[in-house]
Amino acid sequence: MPELSYREAVRDALSQAMREDEDVFIMGEDIAEMGGSMGVTQGMLDEFGPDRVRNTPISEMAIVGSGIGAAMQGMRPVVEVMYEDFLTISMEQIVNQAAKHRYMSGGQLKVPLTIRTQGGAGWSPGAQHAQQVEAWFVGVPGLKVVFASTPSDVRGLLWSAIYDDNPVVFFEHRRLYGLKEELAEQIEPIPIGRARVHREGEDVTVVATGRLVHEALAAAEEAEQQGVSVEVVDPRTLQPLDEDAIVGSVKKTNRCVVAHEAVTRMGFGAEIAAVVQHQAFDWLDAPVERVGAKFTPLPFAPVMEEYVVPHARDVLEAIQRTVQRDGS
Amino acid sequence: MTLSGTVPDGDCPSIRGTVPAGGCPYNRTAVSMADEVKLPRLGQGMESGTIVKWLKAEGDQVEKGEPLYELDTDKVTQEVEAEATGVLLKITVAEGEADVGTTIAVIGRQGEDVSALEGETAQAVAETAQEEGSPGAAREAERERGREATASEQVTEIRQPSGGNGAGARIKASPLARRIARERGIELGSLKGTGPEGRVVAEDVERAAAGAPAQPTVTRPAAPPGEVERIPLTSVRRTIARRLTEAWQAPAFQIAMSADMTRAQQLHAGLAEQAKEGEPKPTVTDILTKACAAALMRHRGVNALWAEDAIELHPNANVGIAVAIEAGLVVPVIHQAEGLTIAELAAARADIVTRARESKLRQEDLDGGTFTISNLGMFGVEQFVAVLNPPQAAILAVGAIEAKAVATESGFDSRPLMTLTLTCDHRALDGATAANFLRTVKAFLEEPGLML
Repeated sequence: MPELSYREAVRDALSQAMREDEDVFIMGEDIAEMGGSMGVTQGMLDEFGPDRVRNTPISEMAIVGSGIGAAMQGMRPVVEVMYEDFLTISMEQIVNQAAKHRYMSGGQLKVPLTIRTQGGAGWSPGAQHAQQVEAWFVGVPGLKVVFASTPSDVRGLLWSAIYDDNPVVFFEHRRLYGLKEELAEQIEPIPIGRARVHREGEDVTVVATGRLVHEALAAAEEAEQQGVSVEVVDPRTLQPLDEDAIVGSVKKTNRCVVAHEAVTRMGFGAEIAAVVQHQAFDWLDAPVERVGAKFTPLPFAPVMEEYVVPHARDVLEAIQRTVQRDGS
Repeated sequence: MTLSGTVPDGDCPSIRGTVPAGGCPYNRTAVSMADEVKLPRLGQGMESGTIVKWLKAEGDQVEKGEPLYELDTDKVTQEVEAEATGVLLKITVAEGEADVGTTIAVIGRQGEDVSALEGETAQAVAETAQEEGSPGAAREAERERGREATASEQVTEIRQPSGGNGAGARIKASPLARRIARERGIELGSLKGTGPEGRVVAEDVERAAAGAPAQPTVTRPAAPPGEVERIPLTSVRRTIARRLTEAWQAPAFQIAMSADMTRAQQLHAGLAEQAKEGEPKPTVTDILTKACAAALMRHRGVNALWAEDAIELHPNANVGIAVAIEAGLVVPVIHQAEGLTIAELAAARADIVTRARESKLRQEDLDGGTFTISNLGMFGVEQFVAVLNPPQAAILAVGAIEAKAVATESGFDSRPLMTLTLTCDHRALDGATAANFLRTVKAFLEEPGLML
């Protein structure tokens, strides 16, 4: 089985879909000759040509808007917004157009559009190029939101996103592009709306997304040394949410930590905490702990950036708080 | 309380944004919303009940669904929940016996004039709402009352069947710890929390459950050596005492037999193995219930109630199972047991036993028993004599299954024997009837196929 990086896994899903299906094409800033700012689409221009690998002007509104138009005409476009910070510019297209057409046309129109984007701190890109804004889209009926954390997940979920008849905002994490995993040639599509249990445990459930899945797994290793058994669950799809998997896990462990790189306040973890407290109230033995970035724009100075975003030790501390006893 | 102060702008549909003096007309109906608390009929044939004590005092805020008072009937003592939210304005029957339907208290709004409202029925209130010409008025009044309840920032007390130490103060406990405590009948107030800020967590409750022998006294602080500890009677205890004293006056006799449980145990092992995941596993008790129910159908004279002026022979075997709970003893009933399979009996038994332990039995669970089984086998008791459960004519006391040497044709053999002791009310049935019944039960246990 070939070993693919997260970056190559994204490219593989795009390429396999484009080989099989003429309706699939990609658009975005500098994705053709340059291969995208993160190198995801490198080499695809050579294979598929400029009609299907299209450079766009620097206008996120136009990128998403033309993607919506193509989708409504029956194509399955995958558009790239270079940094998720720039989704703000295309917000009108995503929230008021893509998400609404199917509903407002009484189902006569479909918008099978995938909006790929990436972000995340950890390489000091400054306050306007490192945010995690996935939670903003989860509250928009009509959108699906995916945030994959491993090469196999990103490939299988991107495939499902492309073939979903609804607009999907597809988040990738900058720091995960180098992550490698052995994958079969054949893509195994992963259903949207299905969580993944990365590690089973008895004492605490950590529900983590994106980069924090890996931080949570590292924290779980350490907690294990201290005698605390941690279950790590990645929802993978934020909308729709696999509530059963999360609630089922918490009912088993009786404690829950939510973890993501986005700011804690109004982060996706808040929704998880609400779901858990409501559906597993009588199973909770400790308050749901939240792990996320501090409430500040991301600093440019690397040491400060490190300070603001959460790491494995933050997850570990949260785990310890949930099992804490007085005098220990 | 001024109405205009509590009605947020916009809540009054007719006058958006401006609330004139006197308040929104929608809320005027709420002024006269007083609910009379009437003594409920909890079971068939219940004519009156005895109020043991009020769990709320006059002037207290009560929430709908909150336990309001303890009521003693001839079957059970139970907490009765408030059917309305508001302030407990007046208690008209503080303690003692009252007839079903008697107004025993009034719940309404703070400061409401009770004397004027006493006697006014809920129907009259509904009529007022109709006169206002708005179908939503009553609902609005409900909402208003809800608002009041939330506004008063009331501290929720932890409900405990036996009341006690912790009542009144907020106890910090995790939801899981509360659930486990509720299920096992452990008083949270008696536990020392080891979680952050002294929060009682699941482990604390489990530790208490594991270390505590099943006696109501364990949650009390130990008496200093040499002193007599006086345990005030709970209403459950008082009911048990009263009913058993009554029972003792009946002319009773006992007969006993031992059953060879070899085949019953094989059946039990087979059924337990076949039990589906998540379903209660059948126990020997369930096989015994089946055997008794089948035997009762063949010996109707035992499936009888002593009704003072007659003997009632019942068409169904409604088998009561004596269950030890923290507060004492209850006998929930498996109705029409003769028609249930052993798996169904196991499910019914698991359900009532669980609810008995959680103090969640309903009156209908306790009504209608025609026969009772009391099993102390799990405590290693070899045999014992049960006291009648009137008006039932008979009760079966079941001992432990013990390996005993039994004479066979070729010598002696070890067999698992169980002693069954039947206590009978001699007014209702005689020795031969009882013996025939018990012989059938024994035969069914020794050869379960005969039950078919």
